[in-house]
Amino acid sequence: MDLSLITFVQILVAVIAIICLMVANAVVMVYVERKVAGFIQRRPGPYEVGPWGTIQAICDSMKLLAKQIFVPANVDLVLFFLAPVLAFFPVLLLFLPIPFGPYLTPWKTPDGLVLILAFAGFGVLSNLLAGWASNNKYGVLGAARAVSQSIAYEIPLMLALMAVVFQAGSLNLSVIVEKQGWVPWEWNIVTQPLAFFIYLICLVAETNRAPFDLPEAESELTAGFHTEYSGMGFALFFLSEYANMLLVSFICATFFLGGYKGPIIDGFWWTIIKAYAVMVFIVWIRWTFPRVRFDQLLNINWKWLLPLGLLNLWITAIIIKVVN
Amino acid sequence: MASWLNFINPFTIDDDPGTYLGDFYTDNFEKGAQKGNVILNLGPQHPSTHGVLRVLVELYGEYVLRSEPVLGYLHRMQEKMGEVKTPYQYLPNMGRVDYLNPIAWNWAYAGAVELLAGIEVPERAEYLRIISAELNRISSHLLWWGAFVLDLGGVTPILYAFEEREKINDILQIVTGSRLTMNYFRFGGVGQDGDERFFALIGEFIPYMRERLKMYKDLVTDNVILRRRLEGIGPMDRDLCLRYGATGPILRAAGVDYDTRKAIPYGLYHKFEYRVPIGPPNDNFGRYIMRLEEIEASLTILSQAIESIPQGKHIIDKAPKPAYKLPPGEVFFAVEGARGQVICHILSDGGKTPYRIKLRAPGFSNLSLFAEAAKGTILADAIAILGSLDLVIPEVDR
Amino acid sequence: MTSIDNWSATCRDFGALYVTRPDFSKQGIHLSAYLPPEALLDMAQKLKDEGFTLLTITTAEFTEGFVVSYLFDSFTESSRLALRVLLKDKEKAKVPSLYSIYQGAEWHERESYDFFGLIFEDNPNLVPLLLPHDLAGPPPLRKAAGALSSLKAINFQGKLEYADPDFPLAPEPQEPAELATISEAATETGPSSGNNEGGA
Repeated sequence: MDLSLITFVQILVAVIAIICLMVANAVVMVYVERKVAGFIQRRPGPYEVGPWGTIQAICDSMKLLAKQIFVPANVDLVLFFLAPVLAFFPVLLLFLPIPFGPYLTPWKTPDGLVLILAFAGFGVLSNLLAGWASNNKYGVLGAARAVSQSIAYEIPLMLALMAVVFQAGSLNLSVIVEKQGWVPWEWNIVTQPLAFFIYLICLVAETNRAPFDLPEAESELTAGFHTEYSGMGFALFFLSEYANMLLVSFICATFFLGGYKGPIIDGFWWTIIKAYAVMVFIVWIRWTFPRVRFDQLLNINWKWLLPLGLLNLWITAIIIKVVN
Repeated sequence: MASWLNFINPFTIDDDPGTYLGDFYTDNFEKGAQKGNVILNLGPQHPSTHGVLRVLVELYGEYVLRSEPVLGYLHRMQEKMGEVKTPYQYLPNMGRVDYLNPIAWNWAYAGAVELLAGIEVPERAEYLRIISAELNRISSHLLWWGAFVLDLGGVTPILYAFEEREKINDILQIVTGSRLTMNYFRFGGVGQDGDERFFALIGEFIPYMRERLKMYKDLVTDNVILRRRLEGIGPMDRDLCLRYGATGPILRAAGVDYDTRKAIPYGLYHKFEYRVPIGPPNDNFGRYIMRLEEIEASLTILSQAIESIPQGKHIIDKAPKPAYKLPPGEVFFAVEGARGQVICHILSDGGKTPYRIKLRAPGFSNLSLFAEAAKGTILADAIAILGSLDLVIPEVDR
Repeated sequence: MTSIDNWSATCRDFGALYVTRPDFSKQGIHLSAYLPPEALLDMAQKLKDEGFTLLTITTAEFTEGFVVSYLFDSFTESSRLALRVLLKDKEKAKVPSLYSIYQGAEWHERESYDFFGLIFEDNPNLVPLLLPHDLAGPPPLRKAAGALSSLKAINFQGKLEYADPDFPLAPEPQEPAELATISEAATETGPSSGNNEGGA
């Protein structure tokens, strides 16, 4: 790998920029989520703090910063504090190979997808450690659910993305965008509708959002793996949840929605618009559907998504072979 | 185990036997979990127990091997209060026994006293009683509906339910003066006559609510996830209800045609024509549908009541005063509450205060079948079953 | 012959001590019967077989002892029966638990255990249900000696069907004319033939 000094500096700058992006994104998404939820539930949402309640999210984060960090008795202190950090920081690396714009790619690596899939596992690990270390039965149940859910859904997610990779012939995300055109019918969503559908379901499951929010199912497990976290510990889980949402939305935009390509001028704004459209969709279904049961969740994966993903991959491979 | 090991193993418990007190409220869980199982304490503060109920469950993975509800966190000794207060003074307590369905409890107590004392109620008051009781039933079912879908993870419906409930509260506020712990009934009538605005608002509410019920069906009842979560889960058959004394929608979902309004008519319910929904299905979905259909039945009663309400007095002229004494005797009086049969049993020796008052809360008996119904289900289903019983903890604990 | 007549006769088969037929429109029950505690389980089993449910258990304390009232109702017909047990010895009061027949009775019995300190034999979990385990003092619904009423002070109205002469509520023996003829016959011929007499 050509990890020269320039690449290193480039990555360092990018990581700092991504941290800013993640924090800004969390602030924006908290506001968007509340407003969308308010709209769906026919109530105004936040409107007291600042114009149209825009400062509400900042006030909330100030509150989280100032809150006492409560440590329950008999916790495993190292793991207890390591878990939120592990939840937050690996997500940074996952943003590196994403082409935000034609010239705005933090790290144009030929193995972009491999990097993403490899580091995505850290999120699961942090959930497991958080649940295990906090000496709480809800936490352990939540952690067990998080692990089996994430591991199960990573497979069809990978299969769906692999179909696109077959089509583009590269693991490099920039190449995948380049192979798509600027009009919607030249995007991969048209050639790979089934993969898009599978990815969309897996994306909700991977980010632990309703209706697949089993690891933190409020009415069953109070808050699941982060039951015992308060203050910044909780805030880091919160940040990482939104960062993960942002990440899967960017990947969705890159793989299926033409990335930075758009009707007028190509640029990062198209990536941002597409990613946030996906995010609003995730928010929308969260506030609309009831939660599935855990066995149903796994059944959807193993009995439907996995065979469909394999089938899609086969068909894609055969078509590519025939066409070439 | 050495204390430094606690740092590594999060599940090390203190070996000092003095620190382990055991459980005072159940013998069944005293021995602890079987190897490999987990005993989980749901509550007393838990999002799905709707108040301060504690449910002990032993889990094998996600499966509930056994469970036991533990009560008493909201016990207020209502029955003792009934023994130290005169009947008139005790009447406001009834709004506080079940804060979601206060009118049914108002009726149970006022009806029992009237039966014992032989007080006749004017016809208009009987109509006002039925109107308020049915409105209250609808509002109680609406809140249950929202909270039940919340148990299943659907956050939005409860806010829709509250919108309708607000309208009902606005209507009932006109006559009862309060929005939650209503104290509307008096011995020999009701506290206040309904004015024109009261009846006009009910007239507007009935078609509005029917429209909304259609929307509920489209938005929530027909949702595929909701159906999968409810259908076939937690069947409760006739025998189970019979052994535990379950009443109300649970019993009717089990296919038993038993509604106190029809079986033991009280008030003027025999004058009304309405259909009491009967199961099967006797699963969670059946109980869900029963309650939504009961809202429709209540709307039917309401529309008949506001059309045919006669003129007259809302309370008898010589209504009992605060110092009113009950004649000696015994009476059982049952009404159909939103959750089942509410019974007030009074024993009076002719003294200033009743000798003994027994309040039969439907939720108490309904909750007692939970342990059997939840056995062998998945934790999420057990919580859905708990929700489908429509618990109001103040009523269970009294 | 109505089913209430049947149940009245059955109660007397089981050795009921005091049976009345209250006016349903005034008291909300069709039949009130005091049974000896040992007959309670058999009677409950019979009711269970006929599809009755146990709605509630009320305990009350009188000078004569505790009265435990079991309210039964049938889903198919309107017949509400109050079966009662009089426990004369307050300190050693014991009642058989209905848990084996009506599992729902467990909680009602535990409630009576809380409020009156009544022991229900064979209740699987006789621990406090509603009250704290460390509540000091006597059970809260027990009354001071001065506040107790006798059973007769509660005017249990209703048509008397049978009264055991030793039962506290039984009419004074010098006025036998007020007793129904049926109950007289039952006292003379014993409970076994009471069924036929009651059913007639």
